[in-house]
Amino acid sequence: MLFAIVLLLTIGCIAFILAREGQGGPRPNGLRGYIRARGWGLLLLPVAMAAAVMAGGAHGLIPAELGIAVLAVVFAPKLAAKLVPYGVLGLAVFGVMLAKTYRDGNTSKVQYLFVHAGPGAWGSRPVLAEAGVLFAVGLWLLLRLDAPGAGLFRALAARWLDRRRGGISAAQALLLVPVAGLAMQLLGPGNWFGIGAVDGLDAAVIDLAVATAAVVLIFRSRAWAATLAAAGLLVLGTYGWLIAVFWPAVPGFEYGFSDLANSSTPTPLWTDALEGSLLLALGLWLAPRVMRHHLVGPHDLELAARAQQLTKRVQTLTKTRYDAVDTAAAELRRIERDLHDGAQARLVAVGMSLQAAERLFPTSPEAALALVAEAKESSSRALAELRDLVRGIYPPVLADRGLADAIRALALDAPLPVELDIDLHGEVELPVASAVYFSVAEVLANAEKHARARSVRIQLSHTLLAGGGGLAGGGGMLRAQVTDDGWGGADPAQGTGLAGVERRLVAFDGILAVNSPPGGPTIVVIEVPCALSSPKTSSC
Amino acid sequence: MRIVIAEDLFLLREGLVRLLSAHGFEIAAAVASAPELLQALVEQRPDVAIVDVRLPPTHTDDGLRAALQARARIPGLPVLILSQYVEQLYARELLADQAGGVGYLLKDRVFNDEAFTAAIRTVAAGGTVLDPEVVGKLMTRRSRDEPVARLTPREREVLALMAEGRSNVAIAQRLFITEKAVSKHAAGIFAKLDLALSDDDNRRVLAVLAYLGS
Repeated sequence: MLFAIVLLLTIGCIAFILAREGQGGPRPNGLRGYIRARGWGLLLLPVAMAAAVMAGGAHGLIPAELGIAVLAVVFAPKLAAKLVPYGVLGLAVFGVMLAKTYRDGNTSKVQYLFVHAGPGAWGSRPVLAEAGVLFAVGLWLLLRLDAPGAGLFRALAARWLDRRRGGISAAQALLLVPVAGLAMQLLGPGNWFGIGAVDGLDAAVIDLAVATAAVVLIFRSRAWAATLAAAGLLVLGTYGWLIAVFWPAVPGFEYGFSDLANSSTPTPLWTDALEGSLLLALGLWLAPRVMRHHLVGPHDLELAARAQQLTKRVQTLTKTRYDAVDTAAAELRRIERDLHDGAQARLVAVGMSLQAAERLFPTSPEAALALVAEAKESSSRALAELRDLVRGIYPPVLADRGLADAIRALALDAPLPVELDIDLHGEVELPVASAVYFSVAEVLANAEKHARARSVRIQLSHTLLAGGGGLAGGGGMLRAQVTDDGWGGADPAQGTGLAGVERRLVAFDGILAVNSPPGGPTIVVIEVPCALSSPKTSSC
Repeated sequence: MRIVIAEDLFLLREGLVRLLSAHGFEIAAAVASAPELLQALVEQRPDVAIVDVRLPPTHTDDGLRAALQARARIPGLPVLILSQYVEQLYARELLADQAGGVGYLLKDRVFNDEAFTAAIRTVAAGGTVLDPEVVGKLMTRRSRDEPVARLTPREREVLALMAEGRSNVAIAQRLFITEKAVSKHAAGIFAKLDLALSDDDNRRVLAVLAYLGS
């Protein structure tokens, strides 16, 4: 009766805590606050009560266990809360042991929480069921309250449940358990494969070693546990058949569920054969899976990783290709417009001037001469415009001499002093050279126009990368760094200049890094993976 | 005056031959590639070579490099480089040997035949003629170098016109000042650039070179 009251009170308190717990905020005063502060520790009361009752404590009095529990709940609520899961787990273990004592001939009746335990199937089986429920509740509380040991349990569970590790499932690895069990039995006291050679302590040590090895293996390496399980299943299954066919030439007292110790009847032999067949079947099912894992598994994983990499790469390439085509189309539109409004129009003007001059020639040669001069002027302008256009498409020095000299020419043409530090021992292939050239030109123009820099430093170098030959670049990195002493504040996200540079570089897997704090200095780094070819032999 | 012409485009080559013949120049050879040019220069030893920057075989700057090679063999061989574009980088390379007799002009300067033939004569005489476009870029440059930065704006103007290969008379006309004033500015320029007294043409070359190098 007392137990029921304590339990109900405790469950009521816990329900109250659970209902209020989510609200947070300051703790309420009074009894509610007090109960809430005690929290899960209150569960220690029914646990202690149950323990006291089972230990056969004095009925009707408050037993010692309950007294200690009350003291713990009142004075050390945190400790009480941590003790609860272990108390519940302890009750579960006690239940299992209780059921075993009934099997061994114990006849005394005990109140095991909600169950009246006693000898016989109706007395002991509910005990086992309740012990199972308590075990589950204990584990849940262990995790819920984060008691000591919860971390370890979580880590083990996570490790165990991690399905991505290899292609071996948990169930396959768990086949090591029956294998180990059968091995322990065959090696057990008075058995030792039917000879009875080992007994007592030796047998216990062997059993312990086998059990420990199995448990360690299952947790350490699922693949190797399954491998050993497959081997054990095949060997032990064959052994079962050997007993069945050749007994008593092949000794075997106990084999799984059959016991030949004191029997000469053939009945146990077919159960041996049945068990042996089952083991062999499981072994034959498991072996190829284990083999495949060992032979192919790592490659499969590698292939999957590679496929993932390639998928990502294809996505990047699709995007940059679109950008590149888009940029090229825009560039062509610009060139077409420039030609149409510039050189073409001027050449039309030249033709018209010459035509008018031709007509005026007989009548007023002076006026005709003036028109011819005008035509000359127009053609000069057309040439100047074409020159600028060509420079924007492909700078002549870049075509003539390559990147290093093109950057030198750029520096010379810049209206502000540019310090150069070029370390290139070879030629950069033209598309990359062009992208880097225009990027540097844009950055240089920014330094002059927007940052009002007084001087600029351009560094250009190429480094070989160790272990090159990846997806792009062929093992080298071209690096251009432009540093100016302007007032900084450059941002690729704002304005189209640097964003355009970035788009230009991305097509070659290049990157643009800008460090431009307000007040300067601005450092722009351009990196493009590329290989250098040997320098032009004809270069002077 | 004997001239070697190197230009790979037939129309332009013939046009140059016709233009220069009409002005009384003697065409010693008209070639279409860099190796031919080098051979013609060494064999003919012309008074001046008119060379297109871009020539076969590689169609890059073969003409320029052949001219530089020829000047290395025949010091001071007057060379006038013609190009569709002008680069300070190339101008510096041409002037680097400080021997004078160098010209570097845009192709469309040919339209003005008087100025063009004057430039040929200047180069043949050991002077320096740089295209106004190169000089214009120099003018917009904010110089860091002390000697050039010390020049007054007027002196810079005079130096720019010197670089274009103009004589003192031409500079005087252009700037609407007397020839004497031009000489005075020139003397100031030479002094500020620490150019010792030597013949006037060479000092002009060195002054332009100092300008380019700044």
